[in-house]
Amino acid sequence: MTVAGRALTGAIRGYQLVVSPLTGPRCKYHPTCSHFAVEAIQVHGAFVGTGLATWRVLRCNPWSNGGVDDVPAKGERLFRLTRNNAAMLNQSTSARLT
Amino acid sequence: MDTLLYPLEWVVANIVVIWHQIWTFIGLDPTAGITWALAIVGLVVTIRAALIPLFVKQIKASRAMQLIAPDLKKVQDKYKGKKDQASREAMSRETMELYSKHKTNPFASCLPMLIQAPIFFALFRVLNYNLGGDAGPIGLLSQDLIDQAANATFFGAHLNETFFNSEGMSAKIVSAVLIIAMVATTFLTQHQLTRKNLPASALEGPMAQQQKILMYALPFIFVITGPNFPVGVLIYWTTTNIWTFGQQFYVIRNNPTPGSEAERQHKERLAAKAARKAARRGEDPNAVVIEQAPAIEDESKRSGQRQQPKRKNRGGSKPQALPADDTKDES
Repeated sequence: MTVAGRALTGAIRGYQLVVSPLTGPRCKYHPTCSHFAVEAIQVHGAFVGTGLATWRVLRCNPWSNGGVDDVPAKGERLFRLTRNNAAMLNQSTSARLT
Repeated sequence: MDTLLYPLEWVVANIVVIWHQIWTFIGLDPTAGITWALAIVGLVVTIRAALIPLFVKQIKASRAMQLIAPDLKKVQDKYKGKKDQASREAMSRETMELYSKHKTNPFASCLPMLIQAPIFFALFRVLNYNLGGDAGPIGLLSQDLIDQAANATFFGAHLNETFFNSEGMSAKIVSAVLIIAMVATTFLTQHQLTRKNLPASALEGPMAQQQKILMYALPFIFVITGPNFPVGVLIYWTTTNIWTFGQQFYVIRNNPTPGSEAERQHKERLAAKAARKAARRGEDPNAVVIEQAPAIEDESKRSGQRQQPKRKNRGGSKPQALPADDTKDES
């Protein structure tokens, strides 16, 4: 991982350790926005990863339905209006598992 | 940073000035500190009122939670006793999928919180640089008003004074009182959430332990950072906390998280209400009219739902009326 990637991941970890426990569980998605961001940066690098994470945080709003939304694998379509997992319960599209 | 936040600072300054004018119109002294303090309270009211649609949307989204309770139970039973990471992950996955499928979700999402952060920074900057520094007028906040606000004292404290950066004792005392109020309201909000609205499963394990530690450590963080905040910011923060507390109280009372202490109490209240209703109906059928609104709400919730017999609290006594009876009584 690049320096930028490491720095961002560290900041997100810090958020998960310090800020997140205070607000209680509040993310509508699985994995949560912060986990998604870490994974996105790991898979796609700091630049694209940050873009994916930002898009995810924006989609995590009171009008969305939430649900399972994995980081798209490399080569997959990156930005979708809805979730990146067409309700496939057992068939994980998680980039980590491929 | 300057240009990025400028539009927001402009909006914040305007809202404060408009509230200042409203208070002046009502009859408060425009040069008094309390008027400016109340203008900041007005800012909180405006922002939080503007965020109410988000809040209502979230409440509505969590309404159907009761209906999917049986399905949720199934998922929980399936992973009962499995503590390994893969099972936890799979369970969380299935739970979230279930929420999504039924278009319901108990979580608020972080957007309401994220939106407020820039507003807070904007206010901080307006108080620090426009009122306190020499950034000059912004929006409706003219130089005259800046001078007026800078000279106004709230219990002897200027709005842009901080605990560390102030002259005289009164500003320090006001600042200290507000810091204590800020810490207390933050803590109480946090306490209310963890003690009442988290399911038992979330109250054990390392995460919960950490949450507990942080809950008690947070006041100390504010005690360290608070003295650097201007009195105006402290007023804003404390008011926001009070609003958040009230809003959370309302949610916890009416839409508790399944499996939490608050839900148990909520069910008890509903059962007690049903019992009262039944008793009243037994004595005096006309009194039922008062219950009209809740009865209609129950009816709409009931429509087309097979799971209805699951709700224990409405079993019980015989006079437990069906919707048809309700309409008969009321007509």
